[in-house]
Amino acid sequence: MNKEIIGLLVKNHPGVLLRVTSLFTRRGFNIDSLTVSPAGIEGYSRMTIRISGDDNQVEQFINQMLKIVDVKKAEVLPEDTSVAMELMLIKVSADSSKKNEIIAVTSSYHASLVNLGDHSLTFRASGTPSQIDKLVEELSGYGILEMARTGIAALENGDVCLNTK
Amino acid sequence: MQLTGSEIIAECLLEQGVDTVFGYPGGAVLNIYDALYKYSDKITHILSAHEQGASHAADGYARTTGKCGVVIATSGPGATNLVTGIATAYMDSIPMVAITGNVSNDLLARDSFQEVDITGITMPITKHNFIVKDVNDLANVIRKAFRIAMSGRKGPVLIDIPKDVTGAKCEYTPEKPRQTENSLVSLKADFEAAAKAVNAAKRPLIYMGGGVISSDAEKELLAFAEKIDCPVATSIMGLGGFPASHRLYIGTIGMHGGYETGKATDNCDLIITAGARFSDRVAGDREKFGKEATIIQLDIDKAEINKNVKINYSLVGDLKDTLACLTEEVETAKHEEWTAQVAEWAEKSKVCETPQSEKYAHPYHIIDEVRKLTADDDIIVTDVGQHQMWVSQRYSFEKPRCWCTSGGLGTMGYGLGAAVGSAVAHPEKRVVLFTGDGSFHMNLNELATVRSYNLPVVIVVLNNTVLGMVRQWQKLFYGNRFSQTDPHRKTDFAAVAEAFGINGMRINNDSEAADVLKKAFESNEPVVIDCRISPDENVLPMIPPGKTVDDMITEME
Repeated sequence: MNKEIIGLLVKNHPGVLLRVTSLFTRRGFNIDSLTVSPAGIEGYSRMTIRISGDDNQVEQFINQMLKIVDVKKAEVLPEDTSVAMELMLIKVSADSSKKNEIIAVTSSYHASLVNLGDHSLTFRASGTPSQIDKLVEELSGYGILEMARTGIAALENGDVCLNTK
Repeated sequence: MQLTGSEIIAECLLEQGVDTVFGYPGGAVLNIYDALYKYSDKITHILSAHEQGASHAADGYARTTGKCGVVIATSGPGATNLVTGIATAYMDSIPMVAITGNVSNDLLARDSFQEVDITGITMPITKHNFIVKDVNDLANVIRKAFRIAMSGRKGPVLIDIPKDVTGAKCEYTPEKPRQTENSLVSLKADFEAAAKAVNAAKRPLIYMGGGVISSDAEKELLAFAEKIDCPVATSIMGLGGFPASHRLYIGTIGMHGGYETGKATDNCDLIITAGARFSDRVAGDREKFGKEATIIQLDIDKAEINKNVKINYSLVGDLKDTLACLTEEVETAKHEEWTAQVAEWAEKSKVCETPQSEKYAHPYHIIDEVRKLTADDDIIVTDVGQHQMWVSQRYSFEKPRCWCTSGGLGTMGYGLGAAVGSAVAHPEKRVVLFTGDGSFHMNLNELATVRSYNLPVVIVVLNNTVLGMVRQWQKLFYGNRFSQTDPHRKTDFAAVAEAFGINGMRINNDSEAADVLKKAFESNEPVVIDCRISPDENVLPMIPPGKTVDDMITEME
C-alpha cells in the first residue's frame, strides 16, 4: 500500500463534490484526505485527494474519476516533484508547569502559539503531511484536546500545471 | 423564436432525430405532454402501463436500433419507477435519455407533493444527470445529454426539469447535433505490441462482449477472427455479434457457458477480449481466468483495463477502429490443431439434454421450435432466470441487435417492456419474448400496452411454477431447503392474456409445441403461450460462483 496525492480539476457545478465522493464508497477507495478550493481558473475547482492503494488501485481511481463528466483532469502529483502542505490547529492539554516544555517541543516544527488557555495551548502548524503527523505524535504524550487539519494542498514543482498537463 | 420549455424539449428531440418516446404522464409533466400533443405528428409517444415498463421499452428500442432510447416520467413516484430501468441500461451500457418532471422551482426542497431528488437517486446509475432550473439552459442541456449518452461507452443520462421551466418561454435557436467522435486513444506502438502477441499465439481465443454490438463492429470482428483463425466465445451481452453458425463460433463463456468455452479459456495461450469486462459471471475465479494466457483487452472505456483481471496489452478506443487496426497489424494464421481440439471439447459438451416427457415440455425443445419459425433478424427478448440462460445457450443468434436481455443487472421483469420497445421500433420484424413465470408475474401489466398498440409479440412463458434459478442454487448450495421459491401460484397465463384482450395458448408437452407455436406465429397478433415445463429442470452446465471449468457441474440429481 502506498499513499498518492491526486490533483483533480473539476467543473464548478452543484453536486460535483458528491459525484466525486460517492465514487469513493461505491468503488471502495480509501481516502486519507480531501480538500476543495477555487482553482484559479474561471468555473473550475481544484480537489486534492490523498488515497492509499497499490498501483492498480491508483490507476483505477484516476480512470474512474475521469469518467465523471464534470472532472476535467485527474493526475498523480508525484511526492518527489511536488510541494504538498497542510495546515493544522491543535489544542494541547497544558498545566502551567508543562507549558514551556510544550512550547519548546513545537518550536522545532515551526508551529506558532495562537491561543493560551488556562489549562491548554493552541498551536498553528503548517508543513508536509509527514511533518504534521510527527508533531501530532510528539504532542500526543501531553494530551491532545482537539485538533483540526485542513487536508493537503499540493502543486507540482516548476512550470507544470494541472490544467495544461 | 420564442418557445416554451416544453416546446424546446420537443424541438431538441427532433434535432436529435428522435421520432419515438416512451413514457407516462403526470402532474409535473403536464406542460411536456401538452407539447407532445402539439408535436404528435412528428413524435410518437408510446404510453406504458407503468413507468418501469416505459424505461425498459426505451432500453429495448435502443438495443435493437442502436439509437438513443427516450423515456419521460413525472416527478416523485414516476421518476423513482424509472430507477430499475435506468440501472439496467447503465449496467449494459445502453444509451438512454430519461426526462423527468419535478415540482416548480419555488416548491423544490420543501418536500412538496410528488417531489423527489431524482438526480441524487440516479447519480450512481447514470453516466451523468442534470437538473435544469433555468429555461435558458434547457436546449443545451438536452443536446449535451444526448452527446453523453451516445459517446464513448454509452449509457443513460437523466434530465430533471421543474414544472415552471417547462412552461417558461425563451429564445430557441435550432442546432444540428454535433457528431460524437470516439477518438482512438492507443498508439501505433500499442497495436504493434498487441499484434506481436497475436502472431506468437498458438492457442488464441477471442472473448467478445456487448461492446461489439454497441460499436457495430461485427464485420471487423469477423474479419479479425477469420484472419487469425481464432475460436470466438461470447458473453451473454455479445450474442449476435458473431454468427452462431460460423465454424469459429463456440458459444457463450462463463457460468452457464459450454464445456468447450470453459476448456478453451483454461487452455488457451492468448485471450483477445473485445468489448467485454470480465464480470464475475464470466471470470468466476479472477485469478485463474485464462491462467495460461496472455490477455489483450480492446475496450472503449479505459477504466475497464485491469479492473477485474490483469491485462498484458490494452487497446483503448472504439472497437470498430481498434479491431480494424489490429487486423491490419496481425499476420494471417492457421490454428488447425487448436481449433480441432476445441471442436473435440465441443463434441464432449453435447450432454445435458433431457429426454422427452409426456408430462412436460422441455425448454430446449420449445426454443428449437421457435428458432424454426424465426428469421435471423427477428428479435429475441428475455426476462431473467433459467429461461434466459436456456435461450442464451440454445438459440442460434446470427445477427447483432436481435437480442435484448438484462445481462449486467439481471432485472426480472425487464422482458415485456423491452419487447414493447423492440416491437415499436421494428414493425417489420417478429419479436419473441421468452419469459419465466416468476419474471412475467413482475411486470405483466405491460400486456395492456401490447394490446393497445397491437404489437404482435409472441410471448413464450416457460412456466415451471417455481422460481427456478434461485431454486437451482438452493438445490446445489443450500441442501434443498426451498425457501420461498415455490409460490404455489395458480395463475393461468392464457386466461390472464385473454383478460387483457390477447390470445392465450398452452403447450403441455413437447408434442404440442410445433403446432401451437405455428398457430401463434401465423396469427400475427400478440399471443401468450403458457408452456408447462418441469420444476426440476436445471440450467446446465454450470460453473459454481468463484470457480473454474474444473469444477463444472454437468449433472444434477
